[in-house]
Amino acid sequence: MARGIADQVAIIGMGCSRFGERWDCGPDDLIVEAFLEAEQDAGIDRDEIEAAWLGVFYQEQSTGKSGLPLSMALRLPNTAVTRVENLCATGTEALRGAVYAVAAGACDIALACGVEKLKDTGYAGLPERTKGTFEDLWQVSNTPPGSFAQLASAYAARHKRPMEEIKRAMAHISVKSHANGSKNPKAHLRREITEEQVLNAPMVAYPLGLYDCCGVSDGAACAIVTSVEKARAMGLKDMVVVKAMQLAPSNGYEMCSSDWDGSYTPTTRIAAERAYREAGIRNPREELDLLEVHDCFSVTELVLMEDLLLSEEGRAVEDVLDGVYDADGDLPCQIDGGLKCFGHPVGASGLRMTYEIYQQLLGRAGPRQLHNPTLGLTHNLGGLPMRNVASVSVFGLKAA
Amino acid sequence: MSTSGDIGILAIGGYTPAWRIRRETIAAAMDWAVPALKGMAKGDRSVANWDEDAVTMAVEAGRRCLEGRERSTVTGVSLAGTTLPFADRSNSGILADALNLDEHIRTEDTGGSRRAATSALQRLLRQPENEGSTLLTASDCRETQPGSVQEMQYGHGAAAVLIGAGNVLARCLGSASIHRDLVDQYRAHEVDYDYALEQRWVQEEGYLKVVPAAVETALENAEIGVEAVHHLIIPAPAAVATKLAAKMNMPDVVIADSLAGQVGDAGAAQPLLMLAMTLANAEPGQTILLVGFGQGADACVLQTTEAVSDCNHDVVTPGRRLDNYVRFLALRRQLNPDFGIRAERDNRTALSTYYRKRRDITGFVGGRCGKCNTLQFPRSNTCIHCREMQTQESESLAELSGTVKSFTEDWLAYTPSPPLVYGNVTFPDGANVLMEFTDTVPGEVEVGAEVRMMFRIKDFDDHRNFRRYFWKSVLTGEAKHG
Repeated sequence: MARGIADQVAIIGMGCSRFGERWDCGPDDLIVEAFLEAEQDAGIDRDEIEAAWLGVFYQEQSTGKSGLPLSMALRLPNTAVTRVENLCATGTEALRGAVYAVAAGACDIALACGVEKLKDTGYAGLPERTKGTFEDLWQVSNTPPGSFAQLASAYAARHKRPMEEIKRAMAHISVKSHANGSKNPKAHLRREITEEQVLNAPMVAYPLGLYDCCGVSDGAACAIVTSVEKARAMGLKDMVVVKAMQLAPSNGYEMCSSDWDGSYTPTTRIAAERAYREAGIRNPREELDLLEVHDCFSVTELVLMEDLLLSEEGRAVEDVLDGVYDADGDLPCQIDGGLKCFGHPVGASGLRMTYEIYQQLLGRAGPRQLHNPTLGLTHNLGGLPMRNVASVSVFGLKAA
Repeated sequence: MSTSGDIGILAIGGYTPAWRIRRETIAAAMDWAVPALKGMAKGDRSVANWDEDAVTMAVEAGRRCLEGRERSTVTGVSLAGTTLPFADRSNSGILADALNLDEHIRTEDTGGSRRAATSALQRLLRQPENEGSTLLTASDCRETQPGSVQEMQYGHGAAAVLIGAGNVLARCLGSASIHRDLVDQYRAHEVDYDYALEQRWVQEEGYLKVVPAAVETALENAEIGVEAVHHLIIPAPAAVATKLAAKMNMPDVVIADSLAGQVGDAGAAQPLLMLAMTLANAEPGQTILLVGFGQGADACVLQTTEAVSDCNHDVVTPGRRLDNYVRFLALRRQLNPDFGIRAERDNRTALSTYYRKRRDITGFVGGRCGKCNTLQFPRSNTCIHCREMQTQESESLAELSGTVKSFTEDWLAYTPSPPLVYGNVTFPDGANVLMEFTDTVPGEVEVGAEVRMMFRIKDFDDHRNFRRYFWKSVLTGEAKHG
């Protein structure tokens, strides 16, 4: 009988580069910036790392293929480095690789690193890419905003809500995240915005305006993990442990079947149920203290509150407008500013989310610090609502 | 099937693109350079959307012609036009696949003249397929130089006739052709526009002398006199047609509408488009004189049957106006706006992949699971519903109605006609396809709306002079704008 991974692996060091238009940096510089912080935090030497996972999405357009970019940036002593890619869940996949290796007992110390250098691609928004030789023959040349925007029209139709109401909740989400991001020195976008600005912004893809979309940034983040026993042996008392890491990729159902109504992400619901079970969470709304979710667009965050089984079906609009997910609400979401303010350097995002949970659980989040959080969740939605890879991870504080 | 004596036109259909531009709009934009345009600034002309060409229009005309008919009886496809997109790749083969016709049929492209369709029609009426029927489509999408007379006079359109034995709408009584190298206009290879000679010369030496010569022989072959002709179809300006009728001693003949008010001159498709219109309004037992013109003339004498009473389709469907001349130029690739880096995408086609999937793509063929009956696109090895493997039978979605599940108007994505409107469309029996909407404007698509499928250009590969086709959704309801 498999024992799962809950409470076996501790995160002993994390680092996160400043996110933004890092014209001063290449991917190797970003990796080093994040890694040095993690290495110092963990108090280890990089030669102690026995295996590493590197998450990069746009390999041809930014960092390059394989594990080499990490191995070379850190001049690792020929340590095993595996490059992983799983759409926007790529960073989380790097962490899952490292966590699994430690949980399996294959190594004591493992490194997860995610990086993306989007701004050298020349695109505003995510770069264009081929969908494969067959899909290029028939798939629409859609964009992420245009694909996620459809959640709004389908959600409005399903719950019979006027688009204006949904737009207002979406605006609240963006205003909240900007307010949070303004307190975070590592965020890309650090200006507060108003609901009026959001609602009057130029249209990108109906009904998403400019401020409904996350930024486009460069960034990297790292995590160093070891077993709970080893962490204790290293002298750690309070430590952040992995409670659950679950992944649910689409099998084509959403895009090929008329059964799905387009208003939610079934994979998130599946990954969330599995993660809550793995972490032993019965009532996520009550038990979780903070969330870092995949707010690539404001409407995504809105429907995710239901998909993560936090808001009741059709009630996310009220919960958002009531401030449940605000910094001073019951369950703060994107307390670091989220993708909205960090942008979405794809390979790094999952680890950037984990970094915030880690800092918050250890009480190190400075002006953003929440009151004694002990359980946090990260979520990625890679791809599009109609076909994606969803990941849900839970991290907890294990007190001495 | 009836006897071989009943060979003739079994069905006919016409297609004109949804978009129209007022000639006034063109003149207002260009009369600073060519003041004479003002005098022609009456009515609308049809404009193919950026994703239409002679092949896509032919597909639509073919669908209309074949509506309600068993397609397995079609044993040949001819595609006539002077602007077929491929010089070496069977355009009629694409057409046949898009219509999901059997692979073992004869396909042929004909061109080289605005008479391509009338010449083919005469030949097919004389020498029909041994069994089955031939779909003759004519389609032209001629580009025109800004400020030219052609820009005012031309329109885009297509028509299709089904020829064979059976309950025909009209049969051929006789026909004749004349070839005479009077170069009224020409277009060399690798050139975008027609070069046209003086219209008065074309009228006096061309229409008024060449056409009567062909008509005279055709009437002789048909063994009827000029007084027996009820309808005259002549692809020419109305004034020229009137003069010709007078010259040929047909004072009471009904001169077919030249479609100048809504379409313009659709090149090789024009005679068949006018024939479609004429048959829709003709009485049984009437005689129609169909003329094709261009470096000679074709004349074909047709006689309608009782079946023509049931021929009442719309040839020229209501259009929607394009009020912006610059946008008209851009849609027809006469102007190349800066659409940014997303327009730089390399659209190379893996043609070996296309070959494997050609029926899926061109015929919009999905799969129906033999176990749970779920329809799905694309056809795959494993059913999306019951997950049974290798159970799917081919089935086209092209003639199905869909319903909009979700949509967006995307201003970031590249399209030659922003915004790119797309969304999830559901079909009966479980299918869902994320697809593009065409011939629409912002604010029009809504969740729950009904759509029909149309065969369109998906994208261009300008590096390799290739174009890809796929199916798109078009709203079936009344257009709100335009």
